[in-house]
Amino acid sequence: MSLLSVEQLAVSYGDSRVLVDVGFTLQQGEIVALVGANGAGKTTLLRTLTGLVSPRSGSITFDGQPILTVPPYERARLGLAMVPEGRRLFQGLTVRQNLELGSRAAPDTSHKTEDIDFVFELFPELVRLQNRLSGLLSGGEQQMCAIGRALTARPRMLLIDEMSLGLAPVVVERIAGVIRTINRDRGISILLVEQDVGLALEIAARGYVLDTGRIIIDGPSSELLLRDDIRAAYLGLQ
Amino acid sequence: MSEAAVLEQGAKASTMRPLVWAAVAIGLLVLCAAPLGISSYWLRVLTTVLMYVIVTQGLNVIVGITGYHAFGNGVFFGIGAYACGTAMVAGLPFVAGIALAIVMSAVCAFILGWPILRLKGHYFAIATVALNLAAVQIIIQIGGITGGAQGLALPLSDWDPKPLYIALYYLMLGGAVASTAIVAILLKRPLGFALRAIRDSERAAAVMGINTTKAKVYAWAISAGLTGFAGGVWAYWITFIEPSSAFDPAVGVKAYIMLIIGGMGSILGPVIGAFVLEIVSTLVWSGFLKAHQLILGLLIVVVCIVAPNGIINAFARLVRSVRRNDGAA
Repeated sequence: MSLLSVEQLAVSYGDSRVLVDVGFTLQQGEIVALVGANGAGKTTLLRTLTGLVSPRSGSITFDGQPILTVPPYERARLGLAMVPEGRRLFQGLTVRQNLELGSRAAPDTSHKTEDIDFVFELFPELVRLQNRLSGLLSGGEQQMCAIGRALTARPRMLLIDEMSLGLAPVVVERIAGVIRTINRDRGISILLVEQDVGLALEIAARGYVLDTGRIIIDGPSSELLLRDDIRAAYLGLQ
Repeated sequence: MSEAAVLEQGAKASTMRPLVWAAVAIGLLVLCAAPLGISSYWLRVLTTVLMYVIVTQGLNVIVGITGYHAFGNGVFFGIGAYACGTAMVAGLPFVAGIALAIVMSAVCAFILGWPILRLKGHYFAIATVALNLAAVQIIIQIGGITGGAQGLALPLSDWDPKPLYIALYYLMLGGAVASTAIVAILLKRPLGFALRAIRDSERAAAVMGINTTKAKVYAWAISAGLTGFAGGVWAYWITFIEPSSAFDPAVGVKAYIMLIIGGMGSILGPVIGAFVLEIVSTLVWSGFLKAHQLILGLLIVVVCIVAPNGIINAFARLVRSVRRNDGAA
């Protein structure tokens, strides 16, 4: 059975239909990419998954349980952790306080210190910065802190929105490596939502292409990367 | 905002701490001894200052820490005043009146908070102002034991005026210390972290597993309880209350100015703001009878330009720059 399953999801803001009929699945332990251009509906889809936006129709099932009526904070406690676009750290709190806040959503908060140490192992640069206000970090450091904050919640699944946005390529490589590590070592499933189609398909095993509110193409990353239409539309290759 | 917070953080982390504690201890000693050596006029001024410390700390919880701009938070001052007043007219002792003032205000915030705290930004601010206006009408329409539009005279104390005013002064002092302690403790508790997270990004807080509605409602109930306490004591002190004085929008607005000039979200900012504004406005009033509002307004504008993050953060910045120069020399 799949960990996350989305069926016939439709979302509108007022009269404009943002998601028309979106369906996809994600298995336990999988990394899946959801790619598409600006305005395709990626962020809306993530907001619907976390519960910040209510769909007009459709269903979302997480770990066998329908979660459409579950409020956002409860979804977080079920193991659905979000790394939001633009990081959205709590700027008035220190790095460590951000990580501690993340652990509030953990099923059992007794592992808090252990989980924070695990984040420091993944991102040793955060150790030195732990008492600094998170608003003062560089973009890459903020992204590390945001991923760390999601990890201290002991999630079963990470939703990562625009991980690469505004970051230097070397930092993106670094974070991509960590994403692979936590997926492999901890079995955390990952949904990567990206504008950088090449990067996302490189990390993920499978991909879905979202275009104006619909999934138009899906398949294994290796196949998607070879398709002429994708190469032309999203990778700028002829 | 982030710069101010950084400075505060820096000041906290540095050797400022013992100095701050020393200043607080000296300030408390002076305030404890004050009734022995001041005129009844200044006793009244200081009692008002301490009352505003409580109201401003109450505002600090919802505005400074949580980031919800409760412009009409003075409504809980009026609810506290009327809860205490009606209880005492009904024959209950003063202590019961105060307890009721706290509980009634907190319960009202708790119930009103579920719908109203779903409003964001200026919509929330407007709704709280509307509450304040509505409360006046409600008291007038209820009439009966609230006295309606005629107002409500509280039973007079058996005590002589002098010891009574001194006792009320100490009660306000106790409330000011307690409300400041509550803010300090709250900032260190998980609820305080949740509230600061909501201030920075409510959506992110919700996605991180924080029940934002619940946290906000608790914050407002704490805020209202503190404000209601001040209102209850005030009612007994003033002995006659009416809707227009108990629900005077100026109470909330004044506390707002104190919070801004003192420093939002900090522990001691509201204390400094209340002292500075109330004492300066008293001095200006006695010095410039005809133009005191004008001069006071200008002073507030100047403070907002010179210290936009509040006096406490401007002070922390000053201390840091002095220290940096010492280090360089």
